[in-house]
Amino acid sequence: MSWGPTGMDLWKLLLTLAVAGSSDALSGSDDTPAILGRASQSLQRVNPDLETNSSGKPKFTKCRSPELETFSCHWTDGVHHSLKSPGFVQLFYNRRSTQEWTQEWKECPDYVSAGENSCYFNSSYTSIWIPYCIKLTSNGGTVDQKCFSVEEIVQPDPPIGLNWTLLNISLTGIHADIQVRWEPPPNADVQKGWIVLEYELQYKEINETQWRMMDPVLSTSVPVYSLRLDKEYEVRVRSRQRNSEKYGEFSEVLYVTLPQMSPLACEEDFQFPWVLIIVFGIFGLTVILFLFIFSKQQRIKMLILPPVPVPKIKGIDPDLFKEGKLEEVNTILAIHDNYKPEFYNDDSWVEFIELDIDDLDEKTEGSDTDRLLSSDHQKSLNILGAKDDDSGRTSCYEPDILETDFNASDVGDGTSEVAQPQRLKGEADLLCLDMKNQNNPSSNDATPATQEPGIILAEENKSRPLLIGGIESTHQAAHTQLSNPSSLANIDFYAQVSDITPAGSVVLSPGQKNKAGISQCDIHPEVVSFCQANFITDNAYFCEADAKKCIAAAPHVEIESRVEPRLNQEDIYITTESLTTTAGRSGTAEEGPSSELPVPDYTSIHIVQSPQGLVLNATALPLSDKEFLSSCGYVSTDQLNKIMP
Amino acid sequence: MDSKGLSLKAGSLPLLLLLVSNLLLCKSVASLPVCPSGAANCQVSLRDLFDRAVILSHYIHNLSSEMFNEFDKRYAQGKGFFTKTINSCHTSSLPTPDDKEQAQQTKHEDLLNLVLTVLRSWNDPLYHLVAEMRGLQEAPDTILSRAIEIEEQNKQLLEGMEKIVGQVQPGVKENEVYSVWSGLPSLQMADEDTRLFAFYNLLHCLRRDSNKIDNYLKLLKCRLIYNNNC
Repeated sequence: MSWGPTGMDLWKLLLTLAVAGSSDALSGSDDTPAILGRASQSLQRVNPDLETNSSGKPKFTKCRSPELETFSCHWTDGVHHSLKSPGFVQLFYNRRSTQEWTQEWKECPDYVSAGENSCYFNSSYTSIWIPYCIKLTSNGGTVDQKCFSVEEIVQPDPPIGLNWTLLNISLTGIHADIQVRWEPPPNADVQKGWIVLEYELQYKEINETQWRMMDPVLSTSVPVYSLRLDKEYEVRVRSRQRNSEKYGEFSEVLYVTLPQMSPLACEEDFQFPWVLIIVFGIFGLTVILFLFIFSKQQRIKMLILPPVPVPKIKGIDPDLFKEGKLEEVNTILAIHDNYKPEFYNDDSWVEFIELDIDDLDEKTEGSDTDRLLSSDHQKSLNILGAKDDDSGRTSCYEPDILETDFNASDVGDGTSEVAQPQRLKGEADLLCLDMKNQNNPSSNDATPATQEPGIILAEENKSRPLLIGGIESTHQAAHTQLSNPSSLANIDFYAQVSDITPAGSVVLSPGQKNKAGISQCDIHPEVVSFCQANFITDNAYFCEADAKKCIAAAPHVEIESRVEPRLNQEDIYITTESLTTTAGRSGTAEEGPSSELPVPDYTSIHIVQSPQGLVLNATALPLSDKEFLSSCGYVSTDQLNKIMP
Repeated sequence: MDSKGLSLKAGSLPLLLLLVSNLLLCKSVASLPVCPSGAANCQVSLRDLFDRAVILSHYIHNLSSEMFNEFDKRYAQGKGFFTKTINSCHTSSLPTPDDKEQAQQTKHEDLLNLVLTVLRSWNDPLYHLVAEMRGLQEAPDTILSRAIEIEEQNKQLLEGMEKIVGQVQPGVKENEVYSVWSGLPSLQMADEDTRLFAFYNLLHCLRRDSNKIDNYLKLLKCRLIYNNNC
């Protein structure tokens, strides 16, 4: 049938009316409009089809009051499925003036002013805070109904008069801030405060699609920050009543064209000049490369690639030792007078001197002193086998410069270079101690330690106690630096060797019972001066930095003494009486303490019988005793030449 | 002499009429000055008082709107309360202006008094609303907290308005008129739907009245403080 869905709707309407009537009977105070309104409401809720208006009925679309003084309602005609014309559409309204609804429905006062399919209620027909109901009729039949209050349907008109002014431009010339102003919609009486509006501004770049929104503001101007100078923007504003939720329509779009900066301005993005950097980098590297490759001069090569300094002593040829040409070695060493600052290693044989205080295990063998003094000269004949012990190596010396050649040849067992500076330190300590002992013979009350030569052994040669010189040391701070304090009790300190028996045993001198506070050879100025006064200045060997004034003893003594053990690892000993070395001979252990004699700590070499031995001539010493003694116990080549016949 | 006397009479008559008419007109149109004492303190403090009052009224209206929306969402869906709420509010009988012209023609003292009346009329309902809402089943905290807040703020606004009236109309002590609210029994109905509808109605009325008060106060502020130039 042509009725189709309309028939169904009518049935539902009737049914709902019946239901409504019954429920109204319960409450008993409803008016007709209420019933109708409820019916239409329930109809709408039950049948969503009506909402979509597919049935073609006229329907309210929107009721709106722009300024809280008037309002208008709009409806749609509907799609006409049926052949029938829509009919004569009318709008009726009713408002509750007092407690009661008026029974009559009044017709729309103005169908024209608001446009097609609309009804306009001017201010005389508009009351705020008063409920209205309107209904739409088509051919007399109600098709739609709506109830509301005017304050609920406020949607203001768009603002007018948009304009913008430039606030400032950023220093980079890229961004700018503007202030956008507008006027409230003219029909809204904001001046008298009848309606209070808030505004929302939206803006975007011209070619963008998304509008950017700002927060609502109550004022009629707002700043827009950080717009780019090279872009054009669109701005629009809309308003709403402050307590409402719905916004009005948007205003007209305002086009913002910012002033263009000069084309010479900086680019918008700072691009790191990678290309330039790469090009120049390559160029520079190429230049350097060419310089390096093609330059024949060693200087530049050294500038670019400085050679790694190898610790070595110039002029010492290890082959010399092998061949046993000690004379040349001596000469070379004498030359080293010029290299005084570098030549810490004054006393070669002191290198091998060390306080083996730490190693208690070795005490089982007996102290060095015992060894030296005992008849067990077998053990003690190894002079130069040094135990590489770390004890006693204090900061007397800076182990910077090593005589690698020396040490390589001397040690023979490949002691590490680490050991050597330690040996040097030991020597230095020995030297310093010796020095101090000589210089301050009576300044110490410290008990003389056991006169035991410190022995520096190579790590591998622990069985070769070496006795070269002995320095008594006190148990003061010096000792702590030289050796473990704990080992003071039973320590073999450096003892002064006064004599070496032909048999190979060593005679220790008790001599310096008073030891100065032998610290790290921080020699007091007086000591230094003492040294200075007494020492042969042409000597190349020194105790230490401070004791550089002191002239070392014969370096060749060291050398030779070192040489000796290296070459001949048999028992080599140095005697004060005579200087012959024989393998297997052991010296008689003489009494150490001949205390009163100012016995030199070190003996001088009388004759050098290379490669086998040294001849120490103690008797020869007194002649140049002073010289020798005042030096650090070592005899230089010159001194030796003076001494020797 | 006669002519002179006559002319005098004739001359004085329009003058007299003018005087009388002026008196009459002034009385009808002109209202009392805002600050009769004319003290500077009065003007400044009145501005602050009005600013604060407008803030409070706006706040109360927001709260009541939210509360109504939440209640509607929570309890009143599909129950068709809306159409029935076209029923009266207890303050509907008060002669409040219903559009701009009426409001503009109302004198500020009357408008102030009306505001006071409405505010007083809501003291009792708000108290009972809070009390009964606690007993409402599954009342969301948001609704209850808003009701409590509205009750508190309403008292504060009433205080502020009384101060304003005291400054605008010093010395005038009027009767405390207010509308009586008789909806308590319906709030306590056993039937849940009836009870819910009573709440719904009350909240709807509250939203409406708070909007009225807010509007009147903004109007008065612009009129009295900013001289119609907000």
